[in-house]
Amino acid sequence: MAETTEERPAAAGGPGRALVAVYGVFALAAGARAVVQLSTRFAEAPVAYLLSALAAAVYVVATVALARGGRRTALVAISVELVGVLVVGTLSLLEPAAFPDETVWSTYGRGYLFIPLVLPVLGLLFLRRTAHAPSR
Amino acid sequence: MTPVLVVAVTVTAVLLALAGVASTLARRRIGLLHLGGAALLEALLLVQAVLAVVLLARGERPADTPTFLGYLAGIVLLPVAGVLWARTEPTRWAGTVLAVAAGAVGVMVWRLQQLWEATGG
Repeated sequence: MAETTEERPAAAGGPGRALVAVYGVFALAAGARAVVQLSTRFAEAPVAYLLSALAAAVYVVATVALARGGRRTALVAISVELVGVLVVGTLSLLEPAAFPDETVWSTYGRGYLFIPLVLPVLGLLFLRRTAHAPSR
Repeated sequence: MTPVLVVAVTVTAVLLALAGVASTLARRRIGLLHLGGAALLEALLLVQAVLAVVLLARGERPADTPTFLGYLAGIVLLPVAGVLWARTEPTRWAGTVLAVAAGAVGVMVWRLQQLWEATGG
């Protein structure tokens, strides 16, 4: 589809906004979940809850980097996210005992409609597609 | 936390999301329809929040109260954040931003209901 609105770099405007919006929702969701888990029952499943916190931090970094047009930061954050969801998703299937409570990335993000699995792929595609635009 | 309210919130959220996507597809910015829809959604969410707080004050407690409160506060903020953001977005993607916020509300309201029904001792 021909785009006519892309005059600003990276995700500062246009379709990138939609991506940033979804990332924002996930930063919020994962962050809130991590805070609740860590503050109310850290001892029950420290690994899972620390992973939740890590996931939340990654989402926050990715959101800010995409919104501000920090391409390199966004690339690193989104890559970490993709690796995270694949590794944690696989581990949670192979070794369920290690993950007594859900994290955002458990079973490839099933609790979140698999959006955590799709989102980094979309993010990387988006970064690639806008790679020719001048970066800030 | 009544099922009627949950359904009303879901229907409004879905319609708002569709309207948002439609405006993006039509290459238009958001209009009064979207703002009205978001206002209705916010009103329903506020009614729900007040209701939940009243029930909590009467001593009913969901099993996971902190999470429930987190969702309750977050869901009320979402339409406001969506509208503020969409209004500053000068492209046709404003509708999509609003649609994302509305979609998140539609999902969160069911999670909220789930948390409420898991009443703890």
